[in-house]
Amino acid sequence: VVTNTVCITPPGKPKITSCRSPEKETFTCWWEPGYDGGLPTTYALYYRLETSETVYECSDYHTAGPNSCYFNKNDTSIWVNYNITVVATNRRGTNYSDPVDVDVVYIVQPHTPENVTVLVKADEQGPYLRVSWEKPRNADTSSGWITLVYQLRVKLKNQDEWEEHDVGQQKTFNVFSPHSGGTYMVQVRCKPDHGLWSEWSTTSYIQVPDYITRERSMWII
Amino acid sequence: LCVTVSSEALGLGDLLERVSQVSDKLHSLSTSLTNDLNTHIPPMGKIIMRPSMCHTSSLQTPNDKEQALKVPESELLSLIRSLLVAWSDPLAMLLKEAPSLVHPDKSLIYSKTKELQDHSNTLGDGLDRLVHKMGPTSQLISSLPFTNDIGNDKNMRLSNFHFLLSCFRRDSHKIDSFLKVLRCRAAKLRPEMC
Repeated sequence: VVTNTVCITPPGKPKITSCRSPEKETFTCWWEPGYDGGLPTTYALYYRLETSETVYECSDYHTAGPNSCYFNKNDTSIWVNYNITVVATNRRGTNYSDPVDVDVVYIVQPHTPENVTVLVKADEQGPYLRVSWEKPRNADTSSGWITLVYQLRVKLKNQDEWEEHDVGQQKTFNVFSPHSGGTYMVQVRCKPDHGLWSEWSTTSYIQVPDYITRERSMWII
Repeated sequence: LCVTVSSEALGLGDLLERVSQVSDKLHSLSTSLTNDLNTHIPPMGKIIMRPSMCHTSSLQTPNDKEQALKVPESELLSLIRSLLVAWSDPLAMLLKEAPSLVHPDKSLIYSKTKELQDHSNTLGDGLDRLVHKMGPTSQLISSLPFTNDIGNDKNMRLSNFHFLLSCFRRDSHKIDSFLKVLRCRAAKLRPEMC
C-alpha cells in the first residue's frame, strides 16, 4: 500500500518577471522559478539578438542577486531586440519560460537621486526650504547619453496629500512660505527622457522654526 | 524673413537645444501612435515583422554609449540626417494610407501621422541650419531606398503600417539620443543643461 505520494516531476514553467536598465548601458532581467519538481533544479537564461542567429547564455548570474541575469556593458546593445528565455532543468526534465522581447531603450529606469538635502534658508520675505540633490551616480548625464528630469514632492508630516512639483533638469527647488513650526517631508525621483520613473528617495525631514510667533511677539514688545 | 534672420543668428548651443526639443517630441509622438495602433494588430503581424527588416537597418549606427561618444560630431549629424531623410517618403505614404486603415481609431491615427510628418519637417529644417555650422562632413547623406509597397490585403496593410511605425519609433529614438549627445558636447560652457 502506497501511503505517501511524492511528486517527482520535471520543473514547472519559469516566468521572466521584468528587465530593467538603470543607465542605458547595462541591464538586468529577473525571473520567478516555477515548481522545482521536488528535485534540485538549475536555471539558465539564454538570449538571441534580432540581428543574429547565435544563442548566448547569460554570463553573470551573481551580480544582481538570485534568479537574475546581469548584462554588463559589453553584453548590452541598444536599438536591438533581445529575445530572452529562461530554462529550468532537473533530473526529470526541462521546462521553458515564455520568451520575452526586450529593447533596452524602453526599460530604462534610473536609480533614485542621491544626497537629497533640505535646508531652511531665509530672505527678506521670511524663511523658505531649499531642497537640493544629485543625479544617481551611475547615470552619465554629462555626455548627454541619458537625460534626466526630476520630480519632487512635499508634505507636512500630519497631512495626507503630497504636493508634487515638476522640476525639469534642475537639481534644486525652493519651497516658499513654509508653515511656521511645521515638520516637512520631502522626496525626489527622476525619469530619463523616454523611460520610467525611479523610486522615490527615502524621506528627508525638516523642521521649520516658529517664525510667525516670534515676529508677533516682537510686535507686541 | 525676420524669423529666418533671427534663426540664423542663433548660436550652435541654442540651435541644438531647439532641435533636440523637437526630436524629443517626435519620438514621444511616435510612441503614442504605436500604442494607439497596438491594440488592434493581429498577433501574427507582430511576430513576422522583425525590426532588423526596417529599410534603415543597413545604416551602420552606434549601438551603445562607447561607440556613440567616439563618433565625430559632423559624422553624428550626418547619421541623424540620413535617418530623418530616409523617412520622408515612408511618412508621406503612411499619411496617404491612414484614412483607409481597418482600425477603429483611424482618424486619430491620421491626425497623429500628420503631426509626425510636420514635426519631422520642422526637425529637418533645423538640421539643415546645423549643417552650416558643423562643417562639410555633416552634409553627406547615406541613401536608404524604400520600396513603396504596403501590400494589398487589408490586414496586411495594417500590419505593415504598424511595422513601419515601429521602425520609425526606433529611428526617432536614435535621432533624439544622438542629438542630445551633440547638445551636451556643445554645452560645455553651460554644463547645467546636461
